[in-house]
Amino acid sequence: MTVHTQGAAPVAKEPPPGGPASGKPGQGVRGKPTRPVNWLPYVLIAPAVLSLLVFLGYPLVRNVIISLQQLGRTEMISRTTVWTGFSNYTDLLTNDNFWTVVVRTFVFMAVNVALIMVIGTLIGLLLNRLGKKMRLVLSLSLVMAWAMPIVASATVFRWLFDTQFGVMNWVMRELGFEGYEQHNWFESGFSTLAIVTLLIVWASVPFVSLNLYAGLTTISGELYEAARMDGASNWRLFRSVVLPMMKPFFLITTFLEIIWVFKAFAQIVALNGGGPDRASETLPVFAYVEGMSQMSFGTAAAASVLTILILLIAMSFYFRLMLKQEEEQ
Amino acid sequence: MKRKLIAAVGAAAMVAGITACGSDSDSGDGGDKTLTIWAMDGSAPDAWAKELNKEFEAKNKGVKVEIKVQQWNGIQEKITTALSEDSPPDVIELGNTQTAGYAVTGGLADLTDMKSELGYDKWNKGMLPSTELDEKLYSAPWYAASRVVVYDKKAYADADVKPPTTREEWIAGLEKLKKKGDKQPIYLPGQSWYVYAGLLWDEGGDLAVEDGDKWKGALASPEAEKAMNFYKELQSFSTGPKDADEATPQQSTEVVPKGDVASWIGLGWEAGGAIEAIEKAGDKADFGYFPIPGKTAEKPGSVFLGGSNLAVSERSQNKDLAKEWLKMATSQKWMKKYAEATEGALLPNSPAAQVTPAKGSFAEAMVESAESGHITPITPGWANVEADPNPIKEYMTKVLKGTSPSDAGEDADKVITERVNKS
Repeated sequence: MTVHTQGAAPVAKEPPPGGPASGKPGQGVRGKPTRPVNWLPYVLIAPAVLSLLVFLGYPLVRNVIISLQQLGRTEMISRTTVWTGFSNYTDLLTNDNFWTVVVRTFVFMAVNVALIMVIGTLIGLLLNRLGKKMRLVLSLSLVMAWAMPIVASATVFRWLFDTQFGVMNWVMRELGFEGYEQHNWFESGFSTLAIVTLLIVWASVPFVSLNLYAGLTTISGELYEAARMDGASNWRLFRSVVLPMMKPFFLITTFLEIIWVFKAFAQIVALNGGGPDRASETLPVFAYVEGMSQMSFGTAAAASVLTILILLIAMSFYFRLMLKQEEEQ
Repeated sequence: MKRKLIAAVGAAAMVAGITACGSDSDSGDGGDKTLTIWAMDGSAPDAWAKELNKEFEAKNKGVKVEIKVQQWNGIQEKITTALSEDSPPDVIELGNTQTAGYAVTGGLADLTDMKSELGYDKWNKGMLPSTELDEKLYSAPWYAASRVVVYDKKAYADADVKPPTTREEWIAGLEKLKKKGDKQPIYLPGQSWYVYAGLLWDEGGDLAVEDGDKWKGALASPEAEKAMNFYKELQSFSTGPKDADEATPQQSTEVVPKGDVASWIGLGWEAGGAIEAIEKAGDKADFGYFPIPGKTAEKPGSVFLGGSNLAVSERSQNKDLAKEWLKMATSQKWMKKYAEATEGALLPNSPAAQVTPAKGSFAEAMVESAESGHITPITPGWANVEADPNPIKEYMTKVLKGTSPSDAGEDADKVITERVNKS
């Protein structure tokens, strides 16, 4: 048992509020004097638990229920419930398109997270070394990029890469590249996702950089000095001083970025609606297109449940790593 | 005058791309009944609607009629939700390609008993099929409209081109315009699929065909290939994007007014919108109109006859009143007034109510091509096919970019077949 869980144990052993399970009389007697105090944590946590249950738990349960039904226009209007068992799931799992989308989602996520982490780290390190003024300028620009609403920035990107009036085509022509008269940047799923990647990386780097910078300020200068004295190179400095100190930060940030990129939705939809020919759909977009455009909400619900499961399985490895990290501390 | 009316007409029946928002004003009824009508943006001319409702309210004491204007974009979700509720709008305007999809859900009242009252026998035969399903009547046709070629008279005169009557003449004219070189001969984006559907019907093909008691996509057929080849030929005269439809960018207000377009294919309200935009920019539009040319001079090319039907919702709280209103609105007397209010730019539901359109007007060209009007396959699942991502649009883009029509057609057919058989 770790220190952490031991600390929490006394509270956990307390009988749940209102629960009739406060069975053993002996325990009740012993717990008597402290009981009024121990209600407090429950009361404090109740609003959070309650709102989670209402806004997250309930929709989740409904979603699972809907995924076992055939629910479309007809069923909605005629108010019938058609149970179809697991057929929504089996249909999806035997659908080649679905697996293409799964693979695409993972590749897309891996590329994005890698880029975000590398570029974000570099800029974070840069922030740490810059002078006061430049640091302020850079931080401000980072904050502004981060604060930009997603759909607004997607619209701007859409225009930057527009076929007829886009700035990018102009830039490419000015730089002397051929064939950018009317170049269509959204011609294939790959090129569309490349632009989505640019957009997502641009918008996510600030979070990593600013947090890394905040973390770096806690490393005292003496450590660097000591390492320098021992003749450490920059790379060595990073690997042996920054990385170990910042390990929890890197773990949790990568973890968050994986989740965020995995569920990136507005960027893809706003840029090209998952097109052309559905070639830039990732799992969340796939679920949306299946559900809303075809009004087959059962299939969409099943797709979203599968998305959650896939993400959970993929992340389980990461969960373990994080838990282990926590234990080490 | 014409300009304003055409603009008001907005036969938006077949066009998406306007941002949606609905009016949600509620009516406080003090014991009186309120009849709610959902009409689409641009369908009901104000003056006509006011006069009609006034007479209806006079006939039915204590009843107030309220027309709520809806936008086409996202309308399917909205109507589905509305029909599933306890107090839906009493009368709903439905696009003719979508009517069957709602009829099958049981959300629309059965009007079969009212056939003779409604004047079923006098209705335009081209509009009839979309109002029925399994020999039951679920709606009454209201109006229809189709696309024609809109051309810049000056550009045509400068290149010495006359409005064509056959496909050969059309292409020859476009060649001449191209040689002249100062404008693109025709603006035609790659995904104008209603135009393509017309070409396909000209070849004797269709978007989907019945196969036993099921439907299947038919874009892998030789007819589809021939139609697509002609589309490709037409499209080669345009610099329009190959992967977008006529609404992105909006051809009437964002492309044509820029002035480098000699001709384009559009609806009445689009022509009106373009004229308005050009005049706002301080220029003058001088448009001529001709029907899309057919394979021979005898018959104009096939066109998609888009339009709307009026239906009563099954859960309406005032079903009888709703039926009364529907009967009145679609009666010959009021349809005649309707045709007058729209100057013939929208075809009323019966030939008897039609007015003779002005010479050289959009309406004249449209009425000419009405005899070749077609509609998308009448089956509840058709609405699914049309929904984005629309397989027909993807098919067109693929072929325009060089995929063989049969390969692209097979891909599209797979999607169409899957969707069309879902209800």
